Amino acid sequence: MPAHDLAREPAALRIALVAAATLAVAACALCLGSGGFDTALILALRVPRVAAAAGVGSLLALAGLSLQVLLRNPLADPYVLGHSGGASVGALVALLTGVSLWIGAAAGALVAGVALLWLARPALAAADDASPRLILLGAMLAAIFGAFSTLLLVLVPDQRLRGAIFWIVGDLSGADASLWNLAAALLFVALLWWRGRSIDRLMLGADAAWLLGEPVRRLRVELLVLASLAVGLAVSAAGAIGFVGLVVAQGWRLAGVLRTRELATLSALSGAALVMAADLLARTVATPMELPVGAVMALIGAPCFIFFLARGVR
Amino acid sequence: MSAPLLETRALSLHAAGRPLVEGLDWAVDAGQRWCVIGRNGAGKSLVLRALAGLPVPRRSGEVRWQGRDQQAWPVGAAAALRALMPQQAQDRFALTVERTLALSEVVPVDAAGAARVRRTSDRMSELVSALDIAALTSRRVDQLSGGERQRVALAQCAVQGAALMLLDEPVSFQDPAHQQVVGRWLVNGGASPRRAWVASAHDPAWIARVATHVLALLGDGRWQAGPVGAILSAPVLERTYGCAWRSVDGVWLPA
Repeated sequence: MPAHDLAREPAALRIALVAAATLAVAACALCLGSGGFDTALILALRVPRVAAAAGVGSLLALAGLSLQVLLRNPLADPYVLGHSGGASVGALVALLTGVSLWIGAAAGALVAGVALLWLARPALAAADDASPRLILLGAMLAAIFGAFSTLLLVLVPDQRLRGAIFWIVGDLSGADASLWNLAAALLFVALLWWRGRSIDRLMLGADAAWLLGEPVRRLRVELLVLASLAVGLAVSAAGAIGFVGLVVAQGWRLAGVLRTRELATLSALSGAALVMAADLLARTVATPMELPVGAVMALIGAPCFIFFLARGVR
Repeated sequence: MSAPLLETRALSLHAAGRPLVEGLDWAVDAGQRWCVIGRNGAGKSLVLRALAGLPVPRRSGEVRWQGRDQQAWPVGAAAALRALMPQQAQDRFALTVERTLALSEVVPVDAAGAARVRRTSDRMSELVSALDIAALTSRRVDQLSGGERQRVALAQCAVQGAALMLLDEPVSFQDPAHQQVVGRWLVNGGASPRRAWVASAHDPAWIARVATHVLALLGDGRWQAGPVGAILSAPVLERTYGCAWRSVDGVWLPA
């Protein structure tokens, strides 16, 4: 369906259609795979994995959406800008020190977020086009955190640590049954609904939103904390899977969805569908081997990033 | 007598180590229409930012809105009192004109929900036709021309419904016909006995048509304020712009 037709669909219908499509993807992800259709197998192995994929996908999509508004950059994504890398380092440190994994990951993502905001202050304050600088800063942060992850993995040959692929690219093969992530995603959508109009106004610019009476500083702190929590939960469950927020939220923007409330709902649903589908691909294309889902996502997401850049999205 | 809508006390602003305005003691009363003049870089935009309460590099002195220090106003109440049209909109996300205007509305909360919505949409359609942007409402703001975007920015400022509008160059990109359109709206729709606006502008002929008062920034920290007839005079214009002026049939032109 062409973008302009899609934009005219009433929001409720659009949400219903995307919800149905997401359920269809979930059904496919549950029924397909090595071992075929086997009830015991589905319940024991696929349900937890598909649920984890859905939760992680929703959280990453919502984190991407929040970061895009926070940084006023439609190309923002937790993986591209180093938040996922920070979460990986935080989770590894948490493993070593015995702190709860997701808390370490969320703290790592928060550190990465604060670092990026601080480094990008001049770029964010300028009225001119700051995006390339912001993306480059984020890429360098991601490189630094990636190096730390690698060092930690090499320095600490601990049986408890999962492999390098898990922390650096992302992998769902060992994901625990976690309905918490789905619940957190739901809560996240509810919070974005609650703040919907304020976040919409933030898209007009920080000064503009403040002049309209929005508590801009508090909103930005909320968005940063929410995004960091979401990235922390997602990374501790599945490692650093990239590009979900970018593909999903920016994709819907290009299709003409601009209201935060609708954008959040659609992004959560299609983020879930995207990661479930990517994981289905990851475990079926090379059976009996399993590919890391993060590599599949990067193969989908990086070309999308290039496509958005080529379309003039900055 | 109630306090002026806007009042400055010993307001001083500096930028790049030089004074833009020093010891500005000035008041804007409801019903007045002010233009701010000054050469490029004289500090018109920074003065407007400071009046709106936005951060500026170096400032001292006080700005009061309705007799109360601007920093003592809660952010929500301030939105109902003053609006600022910036010189440059920051369109990072491609919203439509309609959506941008809807987001810019600050409607006082009352019990009559439905009636209020109807009133608002009436006001909105009057405004978009008065500013000649009715044909643009479904367009994306990043696809407008400079002049069109400027009129949309003015409409954004207007739908905020604030008693005091601060306008940074509302007609700099307007063709002659639309300078008239904007000027007419500023005199009729944009002004009322309970409201006031302060706009930076350059063309003395346009200013003479729309303003009641003028604040001249002389570029070295000195300033002069008064009724439009007193400030638009050869000596003040010469001090403001550094070139000679003459009046031809009542219209001021650089000599």
